[in-house]
Amino acid sequence: MEKTIKIYTTSSCVYCKMAKEFFKTNNVQYEEYDVAVDEKARNEMVEKSHQLGVPVIEINGEIFVGFDKSALLKALNIK
Amino acid sequence: MYDVIIVGGGPAGVAAGIYTARKKLKTLLMTEEFGGQSIVSDDIQNWIGDAHISGFDLAKKLEAHLRTYSDDVDIKIPEKAVEVKRIGDGLTAMGFEVKTDKNNVYQARAVILASGARRRKLNIPGEDRLNGKGVVYCSTCDAPLFKDKAVAVVGGGNAGLEAVVDLFPYASKIYLLEFGETLKGDQVSQEEVKKNQKVEILFFAETREILGDKFVAGLKYSHRKTGEEKILDVKGVFVEIGSVPNSEMVKGLVALDKYGQVIIDSKHSTTSEPGIFAAGDVTDDPYKQNNISVGDAVKAALAAYNYLLKNK
Repeated sequence: MEKTIKIYTTSSCVYCKMAKEFFKTNNVQYEEYDVAVDEKARNEMVEKSHQLGVPVIEINGEIFVGFDKSALLKALNIK
Repeated sequence: MYDVIIVGGGPAGVAAGIYTARKKLKTLLMTEEFGGQSIVSDDIQNWIGDAHISGFDLAKKLEAHLRTYSDDVDIKIPEKAVEVKRIGDGLTAMGFEVKTDKNNVYQARAVILASGARRRKLNIPGEDRLNGKGVVYCSTCDAPLFKDKAVAVVGGGNAGLEAVVDLFPYASKIYLLEFGETLKGDQVSQEEVKKNQKVEILFFAETREILGDKFVAGLKYSHRKTGEEKILDVKGVFVEIGSVPNSEMVKGLVALDKYGQVIIDSKHSTTSEPGIFAAGDVTDDPYKQNNISVGDAVKAALAAYNYLLKNK
């Protein structure tokens, strides 16, 4: 099944860059929302995650706060 | 048994690893991540050889350089040392045992500590509960989330001033709280901060509690001279009050100063325990700089090499 993956970022956040690089290395497609400029996405992120910090990652509705590589590997079934 | 275990993957750990590998010492390097504390920096301007480099790119370059020696260096990532113990009870240890957060135990004849430092916390009520909910430890990352909001920055050193500057384009009001009677950061940054209309500087300010239910709704502080308590109506609290050394794993084994920093002889990066060397921000070296960490780590690696030759 194709997974829907969203990542909420700011351009200056290094853990966002790491997460994106991680997706690229593992050939995972994602949609990126820059919450520094996209107010709608910012509100959406805060509402979903109750979090005022990036990155926030959503995989099929499940929310991950920060860049936790092992949690993402598990969620994406990557060995 | 390894010749050397290096604890840490910042500039110091990587420099030590490259040098021990080039001496053909069988090396293990463990780290939670590469790059060290400056990984969150957007633009490092004093790394010698690069006029501008981001912390992220520096981390990648360091890792790539070390990995060219992967024949001689076993890299364990992410793995963290939790305890270093001596093997043998002679004047000089037979070697050392390093226990990790993965419950592994590795042995080596020498250890280079390059475990760096981590952000100091306020240790006040509300801080942990509201972490990520308005309490911020990475201003470059999260400043844009505080658009049109009032915020507080705690700490009047360079990091605090930089956080204030990061917030200029976004926050509507910035309170800068300093524990002492003057700001401590660079003169240039101080002037930049002082002339901005959004900034209000509060001296002798001791933080008491971070208020809020789901998100930060205020910061309680007291004036250290008058004792008067006040609540700032802020949605963000940026904590920039320095760092604490990651030296817990050698407590009781090597001499630490009152701040918990490993005391080194800077000539050879040696510690009070023969066979344990240290470099970078975990040590009592007064200048916490990437370039210094690299140099001290090279000394540690070469000194460890000589130590191993002498103590076969």
